[in-house]
Amino acid sequence: MIRFANASVTYPGGVAALKDLTLEIPDGQMVVVVGLSGAGKSTLIRAVNGLVPPTSGDVVIDGVSVRKASPHQLRVLRSRIGMIFQTFNLVNRTTVLNNVLMGRLHNTGTFRSLIGWYKPADVEIAMRALERVDIVEKAYVRASNLSGGQQQRVGIARALAQNPKILLADEPVASLDPPTSHVVMRDLQRINRELGITTIVNLHFLDLAKVYGERIIGLRGGELVYDGTGAQADENVFRDIYGRSLTADDLMGEESTAAAADVAL
Amino acid sequence: MSVAAHQTTPRPAKPRPSPVLPIALVAVVAVTWAATSEQFGIGLDIGSIISDITRGAGILGELLRPKWDFLPQTVEPMLETFRMAVLASAIGCTIALPVAFLASRVTAPNFATYLADRSILNLVRAIPDFLYALFFVAAVGIGPLAGIAALILFNIGVVAKLQSETVDGIDPGPLEAARAAGGNRLQTVRWAALPQVLPNYVAYSLYTFELNIRASTVLGIVGAGGIGRLLLREYKFFNWSNVSVIVVELFVFVFVIELVSITLRRRLV
Repeated sequence: MIRFANASVTYPGGVAALKDLTLEIPDGQMVVVVGLSGAGKSTLIRAVNGLVPPTSGDVVIDGVSVRKASPHQLRVLRSRIGMIFQTFNLVNRTTVLNNVLMGRLHNTGTFRSLIGWYKPADVEIAMRALERVDIVEKAYVRASNLSGGQQQRVGIARALAQNPKILLADEPVASLDPPTSHVVMRDLQRINRELGITTIVNLHFLDLAKVYGERIIGLRGGELVYDGTGAQADENVFRDIYGRSLTADDLMGEESTAAAADVAL
Repeated sequence: MSVAAHQTTPRPAKPRPSPVLPIALVAVVAVTWAATSEQFGIGLDIGSIISDITRGAGILGELLRPKWDFLPQTVEPMLETFRMAVLASAIGCTIALPVAFLASRVTAPNFATYLADRSILNLVRAIPDFLYALFFVAAVGIGPLAGIAALILFNIGVVAKLQSETVDGIDPGPLEAARAAGGNRLQTVRWAALPQVLPNYVAYSLYTFELNIRASTVLGIVGAGGIGRLLLREYKFFNWSNVSVIVVELFVFVFVIELVSITLRRRLV
């Protein structure tokens, strides 16, 4: 379970990105976080794995405090939390497999990892992760030679290779076209359902959030302004989250979302 | 037309042009002039270069006629220079790699390490290779060992500096991904930073190898072994045709290294 207890994050420049957030996310839930740019979505996600530790209050993962964790405890914690990024964050100059094996670093001694001597069992885990997102045939291809959608699937495989309990996805489809976005979102949904991995996804397209969010959390100016199911989240709710009326820019597109909804059901 | 009638916020006034560029330009010219002037500088008399240019004609004429029968005598010292350069590059560049990661804000574990590493590097670079050679000749005696030791320090200075600045410019995204996956600092550097800078590292290493070939001619002059000793001897006897043979050989060396460097970089990038 992930528990935010009055967690606040103030950046060194004085910007308060997260204000007094209290929140519980039970195991296995698929949560979509929505809000405008700068609402604190990225900070919320990074507070979970301590990339951005809370400056007051705390975030507690299965009883472990992110704020009080030692560097070693934090690494152990992170090894159980996979993360997916908007810009994929792959190492372009190396192979897909090497990128996915990054998810096994926590299980590999420093010396072994320096010379790239991964255990066969770890390579097997990495290969299985690639199979799960249907891209195993690219294992020995350089990451830079893949399309955006393929790169994001490699990013998901890297996270899955950690055998995580929690999956964090920071705007995973913001750099992708609408059809590819649905492929990636469905991958995440399938992973959440089949493997029971708690999944937190930041999105800024509201229609995507409604389709894929089992639970929707709305942030505005670093504060929690909505917490409820996707079904309950109507236009008024989103207007409240965004602080203005909705425009076409807030939606990915009617047709593709409707099609995805059919597939999802 | 509706373009003119359209109500918009007023356009901002064009900002004044920054005075930095003209001031910098004037400063460069002034400093250059001062450096060459009689009063403040080295008293450069450009006229004498033109009026005395013919005095060099004899030397130039000989340089343009290399005596190729001198070539066999250069083989052994040239090989020595080559061996020195290979050894010094291998050791120097190997040490420079971790030093470079510690000298970049992106990969250094903390600010203190970064600052200490940078300071030491600046010191290492401030001392000329020539001085290192003099020191090591005094310490370990005349011969290639002194030369290799001097070149190693010189190489660490050059490669670590260039490489650390390359590391500063890498994409931090993969580093964040490696950290988020629970990788420790060394693992993060190895798998997220190193692949990004490897082609540059190879290029810098080959470049220092080339510098080493040339530097070892200078080092030979202070007794640190290699082709420099021969170069000094021929120069002292005014055998410009023989000096020319050595210069041509060095040119070929540098040219071949350049070719290898281009090929390797193309394969790695």
